[in-house]
Amino acid sequence: MSLLSVKNLKKYYSAGLVKKHYSVKALDGVSFDIEPGELFGVIGESGCGKTTLGLVLSRLERETSGEITFKGLKLSGTLKLDSDTRRQIQIIFQNPYESFDPRLRIEQSLLLPMRINRICDNDAERREKILGYMKDAGFEPPDAFLNRYPHELSGGQLQRISIIRAMLLKPTFLVADECVSMLDLSVRASVVNLLLDLVEREKTTVLFITHDLSLAGHVCDRIMVLYLGKTVELSTAKRIVESPLHPYTRILMSYSPSIFKKREKISVKKLDVETAIGSGCVFAPRCPYSFEKCAQQMPPLIEIEPSHSVACWLYSRT
Amino acid sequence: MKNVVLNVQDLTVHYKISKKVIHAVENVSFKVEDGEFVGIVGESGSGKSTLAHTIIRLLPINAIVVGGRIELLGYDVLSLGEEDMRKIRWKEFSMVFQKSLNALSPVHKVGNQLADAMKAHNPNLTEEEIIDRLKQLLRMVNLPERVLKAYPHQLSGGMMQRIMIALALLNHPKFIIFDEATTALDVVTQGQIIEEIKSLVKSLSLTGLVISHDLGVVSELCDEIVVMYAGRLVEHGTTEQILQQPLHPYTQGLVRSLPDFARERRLFGIPGNLPDLSESVHRCVFAPRCPIANEECFTTVPSTEEVDGRRVACLKVGARV
Repeated sequence: MSLLSVKNLKKYYSAGLVKKHYSVKALDGVSFDIEPGELFGVIGESGCGKTTLGLVLSRLERETSGEITFKGLKLSGTLKLDSDTRRQIQIIFQNPYESFDPRLRIEQSLLLPMRINRICDNDAERREKILGYMKDAGFEPPDAFLNRYPHELSGGQLQRISIIRAMLLKPTFLVADECVSMLDLSVRASVVNLLLDLVEREKTTVLFITHDLSLAGHVCDRIMVLYLGKTVELSTAKRIVESPLHPYTRILMSYSPSIFKKREKISVKKLDVETAIGSGCVFAPRCPYSFEKCAQQMPPLIEIEPSHSVACWLYSRT
Repeated sequence: MKNVVLNVQDLTVHYKISKKVIHAVENVSFKVEDGEFVGIVGESGSGKSTLAHTIIRLLPINAIVVGGRIELLGYDVLSLGEEDMRKIRWKEFSMVFQKSLNALSPVHKVGNQLADAMKAHNPNLTEEEIIDRLKQLLRMVNLPERVLKAYPHQLSGGMMQRIMIALALLNHPKFIIFDEATTALDVVTQGQIIEEIKSLVKSLSLTGLVISHDLGVVSELCDEIVVMYAGRLVEHGTTEQILQQPLHPYTQGLVRSLPDFARERRLFGIPGNLPDLSESVHRCVFAPRCPIANEECFTTVPSTEEVDGRRVACLKVGARV
C-alpha cells in the first residue's frame, strides 16, 4: 500500500486587493502515490506550485479540494491532526536561518520538539540522543555546537542541524523544500549526504522539492515535473533524465547548465512563464511543438509506458 | 599579441567592520585581453563581487583598497578622481547587476530611467535621438517597445534582466561586467539570456568579466576562468583546462561536487567551511580543508606559479612539476 496517496489535489489562492476577483491556481488537479521508503522528487520553475504542494502535504496549508490519504488515514479537509500523525510528517525549509528561533540556543531548539512529542523519558536521554546524531553528522565536538545560537553557525551547518531536528522525531514522511538551494556548492554535498544517510537508516519517505533537475536526477527514485500547477510528467529519475518525453521536461534538460555535456538547446516560443488562460494545455503558449488541439484542451496525464506518465497531446494515441 | 584591456595587479581590498578588518581580496592579479571574456568563479565570501566593484569603483565606504593597480582601457582606475571616474563609468565600461529589481527605481517608468542614464552622459542628444537609441537597444535584447512605458514591477524577472543588459549597453561601452547576471532566473530563462549575451558579445565585440558561482554558466560564456577562494586567486586557466584538468585541490573539489546525471547518488563535497576572513593568515588559505595539505602548507603562503600554461597558487602543484 502506498504511504501517501494524493487525488486531484487543488489549491487556489484568491488574489486582487480590492475585490477578490481572480484566483491563482497554484495546484490544479495533481494526483500521485508515494511508496514507503521512496525519495520522490518534485521539480519545476518558480511559480509551478512545488512549494505549495509541500505546504499542503505537511498540513501547513489547507487544500481547496482533493483527497490526501496518509497511511490509510484521510488528511484532507482539516488542518487538525492527532499528535502522532503530526510527528510523523516533518518538513525542512529552504532557509535554515528563518526556521530556527534566533533567541534559542541550538540545544533548546532540538530539545523542545522532542519534549513535546515525548521522545525519550528525560532531558539527559534526549541530550544523549542529540549528541549521537550530531556526531554522525560530523559535528566535532558536538556539545560545542549545542551551546551556540543559530547566527553563529554557517548555512551548511545550520541546515544539517535542521535535518537532525526533523529526524530526531522519527518521521515517516519528510518534506524537504529546496533544502540546499541557498548553499554553496562545496557544502551542499554534506547536507544532501546527511539527508540521504538518515532517511536510509530510518526508512523515511521523502518528498524532495527542488528546481535543480541535475540534483533531483542524482538523489531521487522518481520525479514529478510540475508546470503551472499541473503534473506534466512523472516517471523514474533515470527515465526523466535520460529520455524525457514532455516538451517542457526536454527543454528543462536542454537548459540545465552542465560542464560535462553541452546539449543542444531547444528554444521556447516565449521566454517567461505565463499564467494559464483558457482551457488549453498550460505549456502550449511556450511550447515549440504545439498544434491546434493544444490550445483547446489540457491533455490528461496518461501512462505511456510502465511507470512513465506524460500529459501531452503529442503522445496520446487518440 | 592582443591588447590588454584590463590589467589587475596585486590587488588587495579590505573592509573595516567595527573593529575587525575583513580581508576580502588579497593579492589578486590577472589580465583580460581584447575580445576576451574571463569568468571569476567562487563561492559566497570568495571576494569575487568585491573584485568587480573595485574595478568599476563602486565599493562601499568602509572598503579600503590597501594595495595594487587596476588598469582598464588605459585608465589608471584607482588613482582617478571621483568626478573623472563618473564621466567614464557607464560610458567606457559598465556592469549588469544581479538584483535587477533593486537596481531600478520602482516609482519611475523604465523608459524614463533609461533615458536619464543616457542624458547624463550625452547632454546634447535630442528627445528623438534618445528614443531611437532606446528602441534600437530593446530590439537588441529582444524586448517589445511597450516595456519603456512599464514600471519595473510590471515586468518579469527575465525581462528586467534584459532591461539591465540594455542599460549597460546604453552608451556603447567597450568593457562590460556581468555580476551574477542570470543567477536569480529560472533555468530556461537563464539559458536563453546566456544565448542572447553570447550573440551580443560577438556582434558588439565586447570584452569583459563574468562573475558567477555557477561553473556551468561561466563555462558557456568565457574563454578563461579565474577561480577565487577566500579572497585569493587559486587558479587561472582556459575554460577547458579548469574544467577538464583542474590542478588546484579546491578547483578539483568544486568540479567534482557538481551533480552529474550519470554518477552515484552520494554527492562529493569539500569538508569544512570558509575560513574567517578577519584573520590574516600566513599559510595557504585552503590548507584546513585540503585533502593533500602537509606541514609546509600551514606555514608558507603559496605564490601564484605558472604551471602548464596556467597559473596556480598551490605548493603541492609547484613541487610536482
